[in-house]
Amino acid sequence: MTRWITIDGRAVPFADGQTVMQAATDAGVFIPHLCYHPDYAANGSCKMCTCKINGRQMSSCTTRAVEGQVIESNTEELNSERRALAQMLFAEGNHHCPSCEESGNCVLQNMAYRLGMTALMFPNFHPGRATDATHPDVLLNRDRCIYCELCVRASRDTDGKDIFCISGRSENKSLTINSDSGTLADSGLSIDDKAAEVCPVGALIKKREGFKQPIGEREFDRLQGSGAQIRAPRMPKLIREPGKKLKLATCSLAGCFGCHMSFLDIDERILELVEHVEFDRSPLDDLKEFTGECDIGLIEGGVCNTENIETLREFRKRCKVIIAVGACAISGGVPALRNTIDVRELLEETYINGMGVDNGQIPTDPELPHILERVSPVHEVVKVDFFLPGCPPSADAIWRVLTSVVADEQPNLPYDLMHFD
Amino acid sequence: MQSAARPLAQEQLARYDRDPASILQMLRNLQLQQNGIRPSDIETLSEGLNVPATKIKSLIDFYSFLHDRPRGSYDIYLSDSITDRMLGGREVAWTLCRELGVRLGEPRPDGMVTVSTTSCTGLCERGPAAIVDGLAIERVDVERAREMARLIKAGAPVDEWPLDWFLIDDEIHRKGPLLDADREPGAATERAIKLGPYMTLAELQVAGLRGCGGAGFETHQKWNLCRSAIADRRFVICNADEGEPGTFKDRALLNAYTDMLLEGMAVCAVTIGATRGFIYLRHEYEFLRDRIERRIQRRRDKGLLGRNILGHHGIDFDIEVYMGAGSYVCGEESALIESLEGHRGIPRIRPPFPVTNGYLGKPTVVNNVETLCYAAGILEQGPGFVANDGDEPGWKLLSISGDCAKPGIYEIPLGMPVRDVLAMCEAENVQAVQVGGPGGTLISADEFDRRVSFNDLNTAGAFIIFDESRDMLEVALNFTHFFAHESCGFCTPCRVGTKLMAQMADKLAEGHGARLDIEQMRRLHKIMTQASHCGLGQVAAVPILTAYEKFPDDFQRRMDDVDFQPTFDVEAAIERSKQIVREEEAAR
Repeated sequence: MTRWITIDGRAVPFADGQTVMQAATDAGVFIPHLCYHPDYAANGSCKMCTCKINGRQMSSCTTRAVEGQVIESNTEELNSERRALAQMLFAEGNHHCPSCEESGNCVLQNMAYRLGMTALMFPNFHPGRATDATHPDVLLNRDRCIYCELCVRASRDTDGKDIFCISGRSENKSLTINSDSGTLADSGLSIDDKAAEVCPVGALIKKREGFKQPIGEREFDRLQGSGAQIRAPRMPKLIREPGKKLKLATCSLAGCFGCHMSFLDIDERILELVEHVEFDRSPLDDLKEFTGECDIGLIEGGVCNTENIETLREFRKRCKVIIAVGACAISGGVPALRNTIDVRELLEETYINGMGVDNGQIPTDPELPHILERVSPVHEVVKVDFFLPGCPPSADAIWRVLTSVVADEQPNLPYDLMHFD
Repeated sequence: MQSAARPLAQEQLARYDRDPASILQMLRNLQLQQNGIRPSDIETLSEGLNVPATKIKSLIDFYSFLHDRPRGSYDIYLSDSITDRMLGGREVAWTLCRELGVRLGEPRPDGMVTVSTTSCTGLCERGPAAIVDGLAIERVDVERAREMARLIKAGAPVDEWPLDWFLIDDEIHRKGPLLDADREPGAATERAIKLGPYMTLAELQVAGLRGCGGAGFETHQKWNLCRSAIADRRFVICNADEGEPGTFKDRALLNAYTDMLLEGMAVCAVTIGATRGFIYLRHEYEFLRDRIERRIQRRRDKGLLGRNILGHHGIDFDIEVYMGAGSYVCGEESALIESLEGHRGIPRIRPPFPVTNGYLGKPTVVNNVETLCYAAGILEQGPGFVANDGDEPGWKLLSISGDCAKPGIYEIPLGMPVRDVLAMCEAENVQAVQVGGPGGTLISADEFDRRVSFNDLNTAGAFIIFDESRDMLEVALNFTHFFAHESCGFCTPCRVGTKLMAQMADKLAEGHGARLDIEQMRRLHKIMTQASHCGLGQVAAVPILTAYEKFPDDFQRRMDDVDFQPTFDVEAAIERSKQIVREEEAAR
C-alpha cells in the first residue's frame, strides 16, 4: 500500500525508510539544497533544505517521511530564510561569480538565483584560505568551499580513498587533505575520481576545463524560465509630483563602466526612457555635479578609495532611491580580488614593479585619494534600497527595473534576467 | 627531542590497547606531557591505530586544549568568562603578559611560557581562574599573577608552587536533601536491585525527577526508553562536561559527593541493564580526576562496582573516567558521545536519540551529575527524598556567582522566587541576573518575582548576578563571543551566524551601531533559531538581543541616532595607505 506525505498541498508518495527529501526528489518536487546528494548519506549541514514539517522547521534531507506528514517548503517565510543562508555562505567565502570558472554550473549560485538573492546583505569575511594548485589536474580553492562535505563523502564512499577531511571548528573550520605533504599533489586523487567532480561550487575544479563551455550556455544558464519568479526585495515607494519626470543620476566607482555600457545597450528604448526620466549627474550626459535633488541613483562599481566614499555619500544624500548595479557594487566584484593582498604590495606592483614602469614611485600627492585596505560593496558604506545583479546586468534587466520604477511598480526579476556573471 | 617523542606516543598506544575510540585520551595525555603534539606523534598514532593523519589533525584543530604547535613549558590559560572579568580578569591577563614579556595566545620566543585565554573554567565564584599545566588555580588576582610570573622566571616547577592555589574549595551555603544526606554506600543500588526496574522507574516517576542539565527531560522516561530498546549492550554516561559559563555545581558534587554520583550511575545501570559507564569529565576539571578514580577503585574493592555487584550474580557494572579536551558543544549529549568515541564533538542528527542509538550505536543514558546524585538519593530513601513544601516537587542546585556577598552553591526547592535567592546570597543593588548561563534567560529587576523552576526560569544551575555598576552590553558581548568561539562549525546558520553576531555586537560596542543593525540582528536571530542544528546556534543571539531589549540605555548611549552606519571604520581602512605615504615621503 502506498503511503503519502503532503508537500505544499501536493500528495507525494514515499517508500519505507525514505527521507522527505528523497520522496520529494522522486516525485519531482524541488526542495532547495546544497549538501544533499542522492548518492550519499545525508549530511544535514547546509540547512538549505529546511522545511516546516508538521509545523516544526527541520532539515528535509535528514527527516524520515512518515505517513500523513504535512510539509511546507515553497513559502515566502522559508525561502527568505534560505535566501539568508545563501547570503551567509556568500559572506563567509570569496564567491566572485564574474571571475569564477564554475559560474553557470555552480549550485550555490543557482540556489541564490532561485531564491531571488540579489544582494549580499552581510559584510564579507574576506577569508584568505590557502589555495592548493599542486595537483596536475585538479585545483582546490578553499575560499570557495561551503563545507558540504560532498568531496569527503565521495572520496571515502565511492573512490575508497578517504582523501578529504573537515578540520577545526567555528570560523577556523577547514578542508584538509590526507597526504604526506598535506596537498593534493601526493594525495592519490585522480581526475576520474568522483570526488574531483562532485563539488557543487568552484572549490574543487578540473584544470584546463574552466572556460571550455562558454558562460551563458552552462547548466543553470539553460534553466531559463524554469526557476521560480524571483521576488526581489521591495524598493521604497517614490513620492512623485504628477507630470514631472523622474530625475536619474548614475556613477561608476571602482568598476569598468561595463554596467553603463550595458545601460546604453537598451538602444532606441532610451528615447522612450527620456520621455519619463531626466538625467542628472551621470557620465552619460557628462554632468559632473548634481543640479538638484534626484529620485534614483544608479551606482556601478565597488568602493576602493576615499573618493569613492565621498561620491557615494553625495549620491546617498541627493537620491531618494539608491540602486547598486552590477557585481562590483553588490559584492566588490572584480576589484575585490585584491582584498587578500597587502596595500603596499598592490602599490608597488602598480607604480614600481609593473610591466612598462620605469623609475616609478608610489605617489604621495595629498590631492590623491587614499585607497582602502579592502574593496567593499556599496551597501557596506551607505544604505542601499535595491540591487540589480549581473556582470553586467543585461540591458533588458536594467530596462525592466527602470520601467517598473517609472510605472510605479515593484520591479520583478525573472530567472532569465538574473545573473551574477 | 624528536627521538623521545616516539616512545611517549607508543606508550599511549599501549596504555589504551590501540583502541581508536581512546584517541582523544592519548592526544590529551601527550599534550599534557610535552606541551604539544608533534608530527611524529601524529604519525605514530596514525600507524598504530590505522587512522588517517588528517583525522588526528582534525581532532587537534577541534579541541581547544590540543595543539600541534608547541606551547610554552609553562602552559597557562586564563578563564575569560564574564565572572572572571568582573573580578578583574582582564587586568590579571595584562599583568601576567607584561611581567612575563609575552603576547596573549603566543608562546614566548624562548618557549618558556604561553599565556592565553579560554572559555569559563568553572571556578566562577573563585575567579579570576587559571589553568596551569592542566591544573586549576583559583583567585588569580594581580598580586597572585605577579607571584606566578616570579615563580616562572625563577624556573620553579609547578608542583613547587604554593599548594593552596590549587586547593579548590566549595562554598556550600545552603543544603537541601542532596547536600545534607548521609549516604550508605551501596544502599541505593541494593534497593534498586531488590525493587527491580519497574518499581525503580516508578519511584523516580513519583519523585518527579527531571534532568538537571538544563533540558528537564523526565528521568524515568529516559531510563525506560533506553531499557526497552532492543540491544545486547547498554551504557550509562555521566555528563560532567559542565561547560555552561556560570555553572559549577557539578564541580562541587564531583568533589565532595563523588560516591553519591557513582551510586546513581550504578542505580541507573542496574535499572536499564548497562554494564559499562563513563564519566565524561571536562578538561578543566583535571584536578578532580584522581579523586574520582580513587573512589571508583574503592567501590570496586568493596564490591560495589565490577562483577557481581553486591554479590548479585550476573550484575556487572564498571565505570571509567574519560577526559574532554576543551569543547562546549560536547555538553550536548550526542556530541558528547561522538567525543567519547574519539571523534570531533559534532552533535548528531536526531532522531535517533542516544536512548536508542547512543555510544557505539547502543542504547545509552546520558545524565547530568546532579540528576544521577538525586536518583541515588531517591532510590535510597524513596520518592519523599525530594519532597518540598512548594507547588513543584524537587530541588535544584544553584551555582551563584557575580555581584553578591556569598557566592557559592545553594540547594533550593524548585519554585523559589529570584528575589529570595538574591536575599539568600546577600546581593544588593542588583540590576540583572543571568539565569542558566549565556544560553539561558537574562532577567531585569522587575522580573525578580519569577521563579527558578522547570515551568518558569529553567536552569542547569548557573545564576550570575549583576549589580547596577555593570555594563550589560559588555556582559552580552562576552557571551556573544563565547558562542562564536564554541560553535562547532557544522551547520551554516550557526557557524556563520555566530560570527556575524559577534561582528555586529562589536560594532555596537565600538560606537558604530545604528538602528538597521538591530533589525539585521533580529532577522539573523530568527534564522539561527529556526535552522541551527543544535541548541548552541539556536540561542547564540539571545544574550545580545535580550540585553538590548531590557537594558537599552547601555546600548543607545553608544549608538548614533541614525538608520545606517557603515560596516567598517573608514578612518581605520585608510590607515595603511596613509602609513605607506608617510614612509614613502620619509624615504625621499
